[in-house]
Amino acid sequence: MTHLALTNISKNYGDNIVVDDFNLDVMKGEFVSFLGPSGCGKTTTLRMIAGFEIPTTGQVIIDDADITQKAPNQRNVGMVFQAYALFPNMTVAQNIGFGLQIRRESPDVIKQRVTEMLALIHLEQKGDSYPNQLSGGQQQRVALARALANRPQVLLLDEPLSALDAKIRVSLRAEIRAIQKKLGITAIYVTHDQEEALSISDRIVVMYDGRIEQVGTPFEIYNFPSTAFVASFVGTLNTTEAEVVDPKAQTLRLEGQQLQAADGLEGRRAGEKVRIAIRPERFNFASDERKDNVLDCTVENITFLGSIVRVQVGLGSQKFYMDTFNNPFLELPEIGSKTQITCSREAVLVLSH
Amino acid sequence: MRRGGNAWSWFWMILGILYFFLPLLATFLFSLRARLGVLSFQAYQDVFTDPDFIYNFGYSVVWGVLTIIVGILIFVPTAYLIRLRLPRFRASVEFITLLPFVIPAIVFVFGLVRTFSQPPFLIVDSPALLVAGYTVLSMPYMYRAVDTGLRSIDVRTLTEAAQSLGAGWGTILFRVILPNIRVAILSGAFLSFAIVIGELILAQYLVKPAFAPYLAYLIQQRAYEPAAMAVISFALTWAFLGIIQFVGRGGAQAQIGGGR
Amino acid sequence: MTVLNNVERGAPKARPASPKFSWAWLGLAPFFVFAFAFLLYPSSTIVVGSFRDAKTHLFTFKNVLALLSTPYLINAYWLSVKISLVTSVGGGIFGFLLAYSAIRGGLPRFMRSSLMTFCGVASNFAGVPLAFAFIALLSPSGELTHILMALGFNPYYHGFTLYTFWGLSLVYMYFQFPLMVLIIAPAIDGLRREWLEAAENLGATSFQYWRYVALPILVPAMLGTMILLFGNAFGAYATAFALTGGQINLVTIVIGAELTGDVLGDAGLGYALALGMVVVMALAITGYTLLLRRTERWLR
Repeated sequence: MTHLALTNISKNYGDNIVVDDFNLDVMKGEFVSFLGPSGCGKTTTLRMIAGFEIPTTGQVIIDDADITQKAPNQRNVGMVFQAYALFPNMTVAQNIGFGLQIRRESPDVIKQRVTEMLALIHLEQKGDSYPNQLSGGQQQRVALARALANRPQVLLLDEPLSALDAKIRVSLRAEIRAIQKKLGITAIYVTHDQEEALSISDRIVVMYDGRIEQVGTPFEIYNFPSTAFVASFVGTLNTTEAEVVDPKAQTLRLEGQQLQAADGLEGRRAGEKVRIAIRPERFNFASDERKDNVLDCTVENITFLGSIVRVQVGLGSQKFYMDTFNNPFLELPEIGSKTQITCSREAVLVLSH
Repeated sequence: MRRGGNAWSWFWMILGILYFFLPLLATFLFSLRARLGVLSFQAYQDVFTDPDFIYNFGYSVVWGVLTIIVGILIFVPTAYLIRLRLPRFRASVEFITLLPFVIPAIVFVFGLVRTFSQPPFLIVDSPALLVAGYTVLSMPYMYRAVDTGLRSIDVRTLTEAAQSLGAGWGTILFRVILPNIRVAILSGAFLSFAIVIGELILAQYLVKPAFAPYLAYLIQQRAYEPAAMAVISFALTWAFLGIIQFVGRGGAQAQIGGGR
Repeated sequence: MTVLNNVERGAPKARPASPKFSWAWLGLAPFFVFAFAFLLYPSSTIVVGSFRDAKTHLFTFKNVLALLSTPYLINAYWLSVKISLVTSVGGGIFGFLLAYSAIRGGLPRFMRSSLMTFCGVASNFAGVPLAFAFIALLSPSGELTHILMALGFNPYYHGFTLYTFWGLSLVYMYFQFPLMVLIIAPAIDGLRREWLEAAENLGATSFQYWRYVALPILVPAMLGTMILLFGNAFGAYATAFALTGGQINLVTIVIGAELTGDVLGDAGLGYALALGMVVVMALAITGYTLLLRRTERWLR
């Protein structure tokens, strides 16, 4: 059952189109991320759900109620801001209880709810502290508690972790996800960090230049990117141009060598140039295992990344990256030597544009 | 509340604009009425050909320049030393420089005059006392301007570089440090000048020629010349501020100067 | 900002400059000599002179007592305090409203910088020229008075006069409100947009936002500035003198008259008057500092 629906949403400022034809149905309790680079319109869309921007066209519907034109203080959606936005003149407890205070709940109710929330974010001892006495991660947790204290219908998070250190980001995002699951609350999460989006979302909406590029589960987005942008934005990727040889047999020519794809060449003509993409981890050395495609190349560089070893190979004038798992007994060819790499036909992704 | 030009915002803004400009307009208009029935610059002509004006205003300019020079000579080395060598004196020096803020000018002038109008320090007739008084009155602004300027340049490195090239202290101060804090000094100088021009009581009591007492006296005597003079002094203020803004390019600070 | 750890692992402290009795100390001498001769010593005579009999040079309270028992002088303090309060609160509130309108009121962008520039200049336009500007505007033969009279309304018939309390207050505000604008502008900038949005998001109306979030944050800065304005008005001399010809009974004017004409007949009383001013100012500054500390508690 659709809990939050965004239909035909668009937003423009004069001639500047910021969001175009955005359509999305979100189920209750779903965690959806809006993923994209700066300026892609993800934050603007989020703010339209919150009411800080009014859509030029389209509707925002929560639980079958059209809230498109409602003032932001009438919507009961909870928002967590990138810059925490905790009120500096109030203690943590007062911040968390603010929404309830506005609603004129009795002090007992407020107190109890605040205690509940503090326990939820594991900051039971910090109720009487002021925001400037807390670390960034702690402040953001308080901001989360403050948004949730009101029991909102939808939780909106606008790049909540961008201002924090890398380590805190990783632990806090898991915490956010855990809390969201526990409360079963519908959540929209805006981020430009694809690893973040991949790790905690039920579905991801990849956006670029105001439009939706692809909507899907993390698995789908990563393994079956439908556009060049999605493919390059999510995870590392080798992209290049190849020439179609036979669309029915799904064969291509790349730098004079034959390449076999599994599908994606329907409707193409022989001789046409298409963009293809292959994930680095889908390659192996042919000496280990031979798959559908075997390509001759020269080893150009080897980078040790910890658990992964990244081998840069040259294929004619193209450069490809190959990722292989590190282990102490790994035998790597010499830089400059010729070798063969292999990948399956399914690994060859044909991009739509 | 915040979307679009608020009606209330416009209201306050327009009120502010009116309040700000009407007195200026009135002064300007008034200054044009010297010749009966016709708007003319007669009053300005009278002012510029009035020997008393030239005398008093000229002296004020002289006092102003002297005050600025004395200020630079005393405060630049002081601020420099504090920053570079003697940070422990910072607190006491800053306290002293802020005293003229706390002590109303009239009180300070009272004490100054009383002290120096009796033996053994009977220098009450000397212009030195006037300049000294002005320097003290402008101290908070001048010192702070110099200090701000020094803060924005790396005093230590500049000094060490100059020393390694063989410069003595005089050279360092006046050929290395001073030129680099020109803008800061300019703003301090402007405020000092404004204070000197606007200062009334010290010049009144010490019976020295100065612009403000002359203007105050003239207000009781004449109608149109004071208006012209007020416009001139206001134009000067604008001009100075403009120069500082232009040379400093931003960094305008909230400062008040001038006798109130 | 983070309070994660207070561990400062033995970073070697920079050694303080060894206190050589070097020329550096001499370098500060001009400043201290100057300050002593022309500021500290004369100011101290205020205190000394207040408690000293002008004729016998013996320690006495009589100056202070005489001051406290002369109604004319007490009234002078009262009038000074009154005008300072009125113009600091009035000028402060007006300045705040103006600043907020220009910064957050949705007005064209250029108005903010224009306002700042004008305020920078206006706060320097005080004293004699300012007094005259208002005379030109609102005196019985002033420009605005003429216009109003042409419209059939003579303010002077209705009890308005430029040369007394309310007229002077009007003039004082001219340099008071710009100062508030200049000082409060950064504080208004500091009112982060997210706080307004967060408050709205949690259900607050505009009024509730102001009441619970914005004003509590701004009020200490505003009050502190108002105290500054208070001191500003309290110590003003030139404006009042020029406007009223020295006729209005403010403490500064009385002291000035005492200087130029020995009106009080007892030099010691003059000192006591001056000391009284310093006391009032000191109280104001203390209040200001305390309020400033309070603001710093919340901001980073």
